[in-house]
Amino acid sequence: MLTIKNINKQYKGEAVLQGLSFTLRAHEMLSILGRSGSGKTTLLKVLAGLETADSGQLLLDGQDLSPVPANQRGVVYLYQEALLFPHLNVFENIAFGLRLRRRPETEIKEKVNGLLQRLELPGQARKMPEQLSGGQRQRVAFGRALIIEPRVLLLDEPFGALDAETRRSMQQLLKRVAKDFGLTAIFVTHDLKEAMLMGDRLGMMQNGQLKIYGNRAEFIADESTGALDEARFWTDLQGLKLTK
Amino acid sequence: MSRFTKIALIGLILFPFAFLLMLSLGKQWPYPAIFPEQWSLSNWQLVLGGSEGLGNSVLVSVLLSLSVATLSTSLSFWVSRHIAYHPKREAWLSLAYFPYVFAPVILAACLQFFFIVAGLYGTFGGVLVAQLFITFPYGVIFFSSFWNERLRSMEELVKTLGGSTAQAYAKVLVPVAKGALMTCFFQLFLISWFEYGLTNLIGVGKVPTLTLRVFQYVSEANIFLAALASCLLILPPVALLWLNRAVVFREG
Repeated sequence: MLTIKNINKQYKGEAVLQGLSFTLRAHEMLSILGRSGSGKTTLLKVLAGLETADSGQLLLDGQDLSPVPANQRGVVYLYQEALLFPHLNVFENIAFGLRLRRRPETEIKEKVNGLLQRLELPGQARKMPEQLSGGQRQRVAFGRALIIEPRVLLLDEPFGALDAETRRSMQQLLKRVAKDFGLTAIFVTHDLKEAMLMGDRLGMMQNGQLKIYGNRAEFIADESTGALDEARFWTDLQGLKLTK
Repeated sequence: MSRFTKIALIGLILFPFAFLLMLSLGKQWPYPAIFPEQWSLSNWQLVLGGSEGLGNSVLVSVLLSLSVATLSTSLSFWVSRHIAYHPKREAWLSLAYFPYVFAPVILAACLQFFFIVAGLYGTFGGVLVAQLFITFPYGVIFFSSFWNERLRSMEELVKTLGGSTAQAYAKVLVPVAKGALMTCFFQLFLISWFEYGLTNLIGVGKVPTLTLRVFQYVSEANIFLAALASCLLILPPVALLWLNRAVVFREG
């Protein structure tokens, strides 16, 4: 379980994170909706250990994360771009984390081949990143993160650069993979529908402040999330069609 | 491009090399003869025999340039990364241009006192350090455009995947930068290889690089040995150029 207590962060005197507190349960995916500049990425970077909070406490399964460097946290941060290593093929990209840990070759082969199947990438192992489509690249990026069995996975708008159709299939794939692997994850996005689709719980980030909703209905009822506006838009559109 | 133009161009490029080789094999060349009157391998035998000290100069030059290029490339790669991500990037980078405000000889004259005090005057180590004053900032400027947010994100990704900073360099940054590193190494090797002013002033003739030998033979009006030294001067850069082309362009 990840517990965040009163996290604050400033950049050049401007508050980017203001008193953030929430809890992420094990095997749960928390969706955080927020516009650009709302502090979503900073929050994820603080959790990953890539940025330092000015104050507050981060606890993962009771362990204080603050003094733990990024490479020992077991918290993987995935970017909008797949960021595959251009000099490595698909197999080696996925195997990367295990190679860092100097795992035996048989274990690496077994795990990578298993992931290639589960991520629907059969026959792609020897391809180089530039030979893959956007969706395939993102699958490889998931594989590279999942293979080290992260304690928490942080996803920073991972489907932002994909076309609508690929995005839909990737959302379904991630939901399935998250369930299969029992992932504990935070998924940030600026897309309302994506946030609602991906999250077991939902949060909204505005001006460095985070509000976590008790349930889906609470999230929808809050005007600031834009869910009611979206619903009204579709109702009105339906009404227009009917009157025509 | 027509066949004639191609041949003419190749001829134009190869002519200076062929001319130097011809001169290195000549013995007497009185005006107005088109070619030397005597041909001999004696100049080359002098080199192979070691009596002219040219073999030693080749060794000194190769050692010096390889050391300078290796040190400057690796050091500037590492330092330029820190400069690129520093909040005062521009200020730090402007410092890298500082050695180029002066001509190398003036820079050497300014540094001379410190080299004498440090006991580096007239030594191989002294010339090496002096050349670093030019090649290191060049490397920093060369790599300043290499670093970007994408690479930084890759480096952060390696860390969240469990890698240390050393692993990020060894497994990602260096392999990704291989082409740039090779190109920078090649350019720094050439700068060091043909460097004259600093080497002459700080080395005070005790570090006889090939470039210094060419100038020495020219000033002595020994055109045959000057041509021979020039031939030797050209060979390592040509070999490196071929290697650079074979590795960098094949990957590109």
